[in-house]
Amino acid sequence: MIHNAQLIKQGAEAKVYLAPFCQRQTIIKERFTKAYRHPTLDKKLTSRRVVQEARCLSRCQKARIDTPTVYMVDTENYLIYMEYIEGCSVREYLVTPEGQTDAAQTKVAQEIGRALGLMHNIDVVHGDLTTSNLLMRNETGGSVVLIDFGLSYVSQLIEDKAVDLYVLERAFSSTHPNTEAMFEQILKAYGESGKASKQILKKLEDVRMRGRKRSMLG
Amino acid sequence: MESFPIDSLPTAGDIHMACFTAVKNAPDLKEKLQNQDKSLTFAIVESNLIMDVFQLLLAATKAAHDNETGKLATQTISSEIIYNLSPSKNIAESLKRFGITEDTTSLIAVKIGGNPDEIMEEMSRTVDGNLVSFSKLDQEKDMTKLRQYYKIDPKVTEDKEILNWIIGAIAMKNVQ
Repeated sequence: MIHNAQLIKQGAEAKVYLAPFCQRQTIIKERFTKAYRHPTLDKKLTSRRVVQEARCLSRCQKARIDTPTVYMVDTENYLIYMEYIEGCSVREYLVTPEGQTDAAQTKVAQEIGRALGLMHNIDVVHGDLTTSNLLMRNETGGSVVLIDFGLSYVSQLIEDKAVDLYVLERAFSSTHPNTEAMFEQILKAYGESGKASKQILKKLEDVRMRGRKRSMLG
Repeated sequence: MESFPIDSLPTAGDIHMACFTAVKNAPDLKEKLQNQDKSLTFAIVESNLIMDVFQLLLAATKAAHDNETGKLATQTISSEIIYNLSPSKNIAESLKRFGITEDTTSLIAVKIGGNPDEIMEEMSRTVDGNLVSFSKLDQEKDMTKLRQYYKIDPKVTEDKEILNWIIGAIAMKNVQ
């Protein structure tokens, strides 16, 4: 399918390749089809999700949030070609000796909080915030890049944004023990850069009480 | 002339591009371009609107893909390259903006597929100017036009970010 492509990651929804494209090393994300779905429905769903992901990435870029630049969208073959970011994930960084220091954690936390605040300002909800989906860009000295918008969507709801933060909080506490202080710093930076952040942070407390799913009883 | 493979579609052949400076027959070329004259077998673009070779390679690669799937918006694969450079869906306007003007003195000729020697000969015969390599094309870019055409946020000032903005605009053009 893709010439000279090297598979670097695979998830439940997509495969990620690294391949040369227009003289640049490029990430190619391929959403695969699901055999258990009706072919017509599957085609429609898959291509719509490819477009949705590309749109969210583009929306973030236009708001000057550091995200991979989209190079090409191929809806026939469910591919997104995008910028390859050299660096490591925040998840990897936090276990390095440097990433264990308070100063480094504060800096990263501030960047994450700011980026998330800006993202929610333009009503993009990421949907899968984990420390693996936050990269540190080598060339700019480790600024934080948001990646994997595969589950993202546009929503103005405070609820959705609060759940977004809650998902990240859970990801933090389950993968990085003793980082409560760091998450607090993220929320602080988030509060400073977000427009409706006060209400969202208040909502986050409700979400914490009940979990990600809202009870639909009564 | 420089040739680049299309990694995502090797069957389409290479992208060949040649840069010319001190071009003397711009009015003639422009007329052929606007009339989609069949004797003009390659694309001609205004070089001061090309920030990076990647921008042009991307537009050409997209044209090759759309040609393959029969989804060209314009009449030929060559005019599609010029059209793809523009974020606008207005074909006439796109060709006017990214094709050349009567006063153009430096341009880039682009063609997809074919024999490099024959293409080089054809390009040299059609364009009356000096052939230079892409890296020698250190001419000032028309930032005012680039900003206007790609609707670049005034807060974006760094070259790299401007280029990314342009690339993003080209990529998202056909994504409804």
